[in-house]
Amino acid sequence: MSKEQAFGRKPVAILEKIRENLERLNEKIEVMIELQRHDHRESPTPIQDVPLDVMTLLSMPDHLRKTAMTVCRSGRATADEIAQQTCRARAVESAYLNQLVLMGYLKKERKGRKAYFFAERDVEGER
Amino acid sequence: MGKIIAVHSYKGGTGKTLLSVNLAATFAKLGKKVCLFDLDFRAPSLFAILKIPTAENWLNDYLNNTCDINKVLIDISSRIPGKGSLFVGLANPSTEAIRDMSAKDRKWEMRALGRLLHLRNALLNDQHFDYIVMDTSPGLQYSSINAIVAADLVAVATTGDRSDVDGTSRMLKELYNLFEKKTGIVLNKVLDSTAKSRRDELYDRVKNVYKVPLLGMVPCFCEVLRAEGNFIFSQDKPDHPFSALLTEMAKKIDANEVK
Repeated sequence: MSKEQAFGRKPVAILEKIRENLERLNEKIEVMIELQRHDHRESPTPIQDVPLDVMTLLSMPDHLRKTAMTVCRSGRATADEIAQQTCRARAVESAYLNQLVLMGYLKKERKGRKAYFFAERDVEGER
Repeated sequence: MGKIIAVHSYKGGTGKTLLSVNLAATFAKLGKKVCLFDLDFRAPSLFAILKIPTAENWLNDYLNNTCDINKVLIDISSRIPGKGSLFVGLANPSTEAIRDMSAKDRKWEMRALGRLLHLRNALLNDQHFDYIVMDTSPGLQYSSINAIVAADLVAVATTGDRSDVDGTSRMLKELYNLFEKKTGIVLNKVLDSTAKSRRDELYDRVKNVYKVPLLGMVPCFCEVLRAEGNFIFSQDKPDHPFSALLTEMAKKIDANEVK
């Protein structure tokens, strides 16, 4: 976006853009904190397409299983929606969801200001 | 909102299929709209029990994403007295189908889980089924764990066999608990069930070893063995004590007494 275009827009729109960027930054920081907490030193490059099957769910640590199970049941959901179901803080769920994305179990898709999380099978749709 | 019930056990021969068929038939007799699924793809048996030798579409086809669930359902409501309805979805008993289902990979199993989870919308929400009863394979099989994850309640059939008691208590801790599932125990083939001391001993086991609610205590009925799978007791022998126990169990589930 050119400077002229940016200044031509209403202040509310600019503030929205700043808020959107701050949210993205916040999510990235949450992932970094989560990775540090679990002593992951490798670079956070997502692993591609790891199936989220029941045996994988069983072998997960409890805190991630709860999040992953909720996504499985919901099909497609935001961190907010998952947090409502698990009764944990949105920031916590956001960190867990992003960790599951990095581990290759979930996919993340951004639509406007909202980020949706889902397991790969939903891409193909249900009959 | 309807419920999905998975009937599972640690060992084979504990009475899962007998329990599933009779529980589904009892719900239907109580006026409910019920669906009974055979998810024991390694040893399909509902087709034989219900005397439906062949089907146009099997549950295998639904999980393979080659047909809609309504193409799988067979309406057997005419066999049940009263206003309820009973549908079944069968597992393909051919050796080829059993071999095919045993060779599925993790990705397929993940999609199968998605298809099972989808039934909540397709059958409970859209078609207003009251109950889906899923008969499963014993132990830690993919198809069984998929059913457990999709279910609202797991009914665990168990006998007094030492290895069964040990395996069941381990599954309670390391399987159903991890998935945060409501679980109820059905003690089956109970010997000397009329003796108070025996009953107290079993109540004690449920309370202290299994630590989950007791759905029912089913004595070892010779008539059930003698029937050789030819009767649906709740339908063909409504006055038998086994049918009365099943009614009690169904009412307990319907009243949400399993927490």
